[in-house]
Amino acid sequence: MGSSAKKKAEKKKDFQKPKYKVGKAKPKASNFTDTSFRSKAIVMNQQSLSTVAPDVVQQFKHNLSLASSSRNDKQRRDALAYLTSQLSSHPPVNPVGTNILLSKLLPLISDSSTPVRSQLLKLLRVLPEDEAKHSTEQAIMFIRAGMTHLSADISGDSLGVMEWLLDVAEDELVTIPGGWVKTLSTFCVTMGWSLASAAPGWTSAARTGLRAKDAQTLARQISILSRFLQAGLKSETAAAPGPDEYWDSLYRLPRSSNTFEYLNLLGSRRDEEGEMYPNREARQQVFYRRFFDPVTKGIEKVKKEGGAAGRAAVGLDQVLKSGMGDYAAAAGMDAQDLLNLW
Amino acid sequence: MVKRKVAALEKIDADFASLQYKIRRDPKSYKDDFLKQWEQYEAQREIFFMSPTTAAADSVESFHNMIDLIAHVADCYPEETRTFPDDLKAIVSQNHETLHHELRDKVVGSLVLLRRKEVIDSTSLLTTLFPILVSSRSKSMREMLFQKILSDMRNSNSKSTNHPLNRTIQAVLYNLVTADRSSPRAVWAIKLTRELWKRQIWTDAKPVDVMKEACLADNEKVVIGSVRFFLGGDKEREELEDESSDEEIDLAKVKHQITINKKSRKQKQAYKNAVDKVKRQEKKKSKPHPLNFSALHLLHDPQDFAEQLFTKHLQSTKNKLSLDTKLLVLQLITRLVGLHKLTIVPLYSWFIKYLTPKQQSVTSILASLAQGVHNLVPPDALEPLIQKIANEFVSEASASEVAAVGLNAIREICSRQSLAMTETLLQDLVQYRKSKDKGVMMAAKGLLSLYREVGADMLKKRDRGKDATMGISSGLMKQRKFGEEEVGGIEGLDLLAKWKEEQRKRKRAEKGLPEDGSDVSGNEKDKDEDGFNSDEWEVGSEDSSDEGEWINVEHSSDEDEPAPKKRKGEEDDEEEDNEEDSAAELERMTKLATTTILTPADLAKLQELRAAASVQKAMGSKFRKNKHQQNPDGPSHADDGLTAENIEAPIRLRKLTKEEKVALAKEGKPDREEHKSTQAIRKSKKDAAGKSTSNREKQRKKNFLMTLGKAKSKQKRSLVETRKVLKGHVERSTRGGRRRNGT
Repeated sequence: MGSSAKKKAEKKKDFQKPKYKVGKAKPKASNFTDTSFRSKAIVMNQQSLSTVAPDVVQQFKHNLSLASSSRNDKQRRDALAYLTSQLSSHPPVNPVGTNILLSKLLPLISDSSTPVRSQLLKLLRVLPEDEAKHSTEQAIMFIRAGMTHLSADISGDSLGVMEWLLDVAEDELVTIPGGWVKTLSTFCVTMGWSLASAAPGWTSAARTGLRAKDAQTLARQISILSRFLQAGLKSETAAAPGPDEYWDSLYRLPRSSNTFEYLNLLGSRRDEEGEMYPNREARQQVFYRRFFDPVTKGIEKVKKEGGAAGRAAVGLDQVLKSGMGDYAAAAGMDAQDLLNLW
Repeated sequence: MVKRKVAALEKIDADFASLQYKIRRDPKSYKDDFLKQWEQYEAQREIFFMSPTTAAADSVESFHNMIDLIAHVADCYPEETRTFPDDLKAIVSQNHETLHHELRDKVVGSLVLLRRKEVIDSTSLLTTLFPILVSSRSKSMREMLFQKILSDMRNSNSKSTNHPLNRTIQAVLYNLVTADRSSPRAVWAIKLTRELWKRQIWTDAKPVDVMKEACLADNEKVVIGSVRFFLGGDKEREELEDESSDEEIDLAKVKHQITINKKSRKQKQAYKNAVDKVKRQEKKKSKPHPLNFSALHLLHDPQDFAEQLFTKHLQSTKNKLSLDTKLLVLQLITRLVGLHKLTIVPLYSWFIKYLTPKQQSVTSILASLAQGVHNLVPPDALEPLIQKIANEFVSEASASEVAAVGLNAIREICSRQSLAMTETLLQDLVQYRKSKDKGVMMAAKGLLSLYREVGADMLKKRDRGKDATMGISSGLMKQRKFGEEEVGGIEGLDLLAKWKEEQRKRKRAEKGLPEDGSDVSGNEKDKDEDGFNSDEWEVGSEDSSDEGEWINVEHSSDEDEPAPKKRKGEEDDEEEDNEEDSAAELERMTKLATTTILTPADLAKLQELRAAASVQKAMGSKFRKNKHQQNPDGPSHADDGLTAENIEAPIRLRKLTKEEKVALAKEGKPDREEHKSTQAIRKSKKDAAGKSTSNREKQRKKNFLMTLGKAKSKQKRSLVETRKVLKGHVERSTRGGRRRNGT
């Protein structure tokens, strides 16, 4: 093919450049279609003539749904930014309530895009603290899922959310069902302080040779853990009983979200991990039994490594000493023993 | 579940597949990572359980991934994942209605995976899956679960029968069937049982018991399913077995293909597999055949069962079963009655209502009736039925098909209980053998020939025929009384006795002794003959050659020999002798079975002789008519039921529809999609089979231009050249047409 001169010329024609000339219109392409038309009138079928934009409530809800379910991460981030600005305005605009807002947005803790996560943290910071308290149980679940996420970025960012939760509701955090033991075990696992070290034989040397970034994360983890422990093990002082307290407890409606939760009337039977640990002693007890050894071992190891993580470990050590110093092992009947009896 | 786009970096980070691979390679080193993922799984589970119904697609997906990962590595950390199977079971059994379908399938798949890894046992898996199968409303889910359950049952029974598991599952099925008689859930029990029965995994009485209970259910679907199992389950089983043994592999062909095609590892593997398969098949062949009783024989207390079926589904006026279902149930009941010789007297009076020509599918009702008759049914119960059939069906006024059906039905009933017939009715019915219609004529003749054997004295004298008249006059033939049983014997034993006699005579002849030597001298010989036989016993060529000889002897002595007239007087004597002989022979024959122990060699010979006799009969050699009436398509087994086709007139006699005619005409002719010559069709068939062309064809097809040159040169040949060619031709013809090398 293409041997004859004619065919060669034909082939060549496809690649020839059109020559442009100054002052003349651009030559039309060979496949140009004239789409212009002329008409005496244009009729529009439907036309919105409203002059007002959608109201604030509507917009808020729209953005909320965008933030929680949009597939585009930029859109999610922008929606979150909008929500943040609304919440931080004076007075704050929040037509749906903090609880619903949180239940929609908390899954974003494990979001794959970093800007979305940082924007989420900003949003959480502007939420009113006393309202956010009531969603602690929900929040800690998502935080735990985030902290153990396979991706290091996500687990690092969820530490920030943990910090927020500690700021907002540290007392609730350590008393709600599963809040104490499960969170502690999550911490231990993420830091590689193995819980089941009772197995004889070789110990696996995890985390030998830390990278700089890992070391940073570890320091952060340790400092947050020490805050968490501080919250759980701080000495409680009974509030001075008010004059009306007795009557209040009899006749006034309780104001916390789930007052009789400790009775666990509706849920399934809780195991040791999911149990509530309402007072300091109970927390101390379970901590001593399950976490004291691995945590102290871990602290020793990190201390030896030094650096930022080492310094944080020293802080943790102090917290531990002050929190567990007055604890006498096997002081009383253990709740676990009762459970085992059952 | 639409997947969210994952950023490239995160993809590397959150790669479950590689993590799974690493963990499986080296579980000890990756324990920390696993523990982290376990925590993650716990957290996801918690989040999921917060609101299982309204979980977001994202959380469902991540939970899905976690379950997948943990299930794959669960066997590496049995201590840590102790609770995992129970979690999965709880998830799927509590939430299977509301779960996202992919997550649901994943959970079920993970459970099966755990079973394969032997983390959980079959019993716990099946007891989890079966309740879901029964209660689920999703079709795809049920299908999947059924598949999984079935495959797990097969796997756990593949090496050896897993009796504890089978017992558990059978108990579950039994409870399912008996718990709620009106619910359609029992269908699953039936399906499962039938499938396992078909594959011969369950062959004992327990599944039959399950089916028996299902037959007595209130739900029509359940009833149909279980009744069909009894009527056809065993046939299905046999068919499957035949199918699986049909796939023969031609090893030579596979080998040959290897020499032709490119040699590759795949080919080698294929050959190896083929050899393996052939070996396995051979091993299977040499294994003793498992004794598989039919479901009908494994029934416990069939009398009670049949009575219950009858009162529940047929007799009671309350039930609303459709006619088809009723017919099925009726078939089962009558089959049971006929097979086990049960006595259900009200059954026969129940039939009366349905015995009219206008009744829908009356032939199958008649077939059921005949099937349900046996020699212990009181004739009084049957007499009105036969009378009614005769009145309704068999008359001059009714159509010929109807009359034929009626006569056939009466014949079938009477062949099972001949006492149900009255003399006058029989004589009336026999008159129809003069009918113009061939169907009616044949049916009446059938009835006549039946009564010539079983009750000739009820016939008029001129109808009895030679055999029967002789039999009556000699007193050999008597009508059997009610409840009288025939003296049993071994079929073909007389043949064996005769054969033995022949053998002995031959041996004696070889040794030069008189053929009819006394038994006393022959006894020892006889013994070591037997010993010889059983020692060097082989079903091989020796026996068959003997057998051929035997047949020849038979022919020459009995038939081919021309009987000269002059020996007429002698023959008469002989006949008398023969009669006496036959009585004596009968005695001796029975003796053979009672006085000697039949060796395997004897039994094999017996089998052979029986087969030879039946072949001879089929070939049409002039045998006296056998005592048993033969069906046109071979002797029927007692286990096979009677169908409507047996009652209807043979298909040839009916007026054929056009389609049937076309089908008949087409039979045995090549396919003809387009109009082609027969040769062309043959040719294309040959091509399709991959065969080559014949030399003639090659010659014919040769390119014209190629032949031109030779033709031209032939004309120009000189005489000498022509001579040379002709000589060469002659010479070649002596060598079979081949050319020598070089010419």
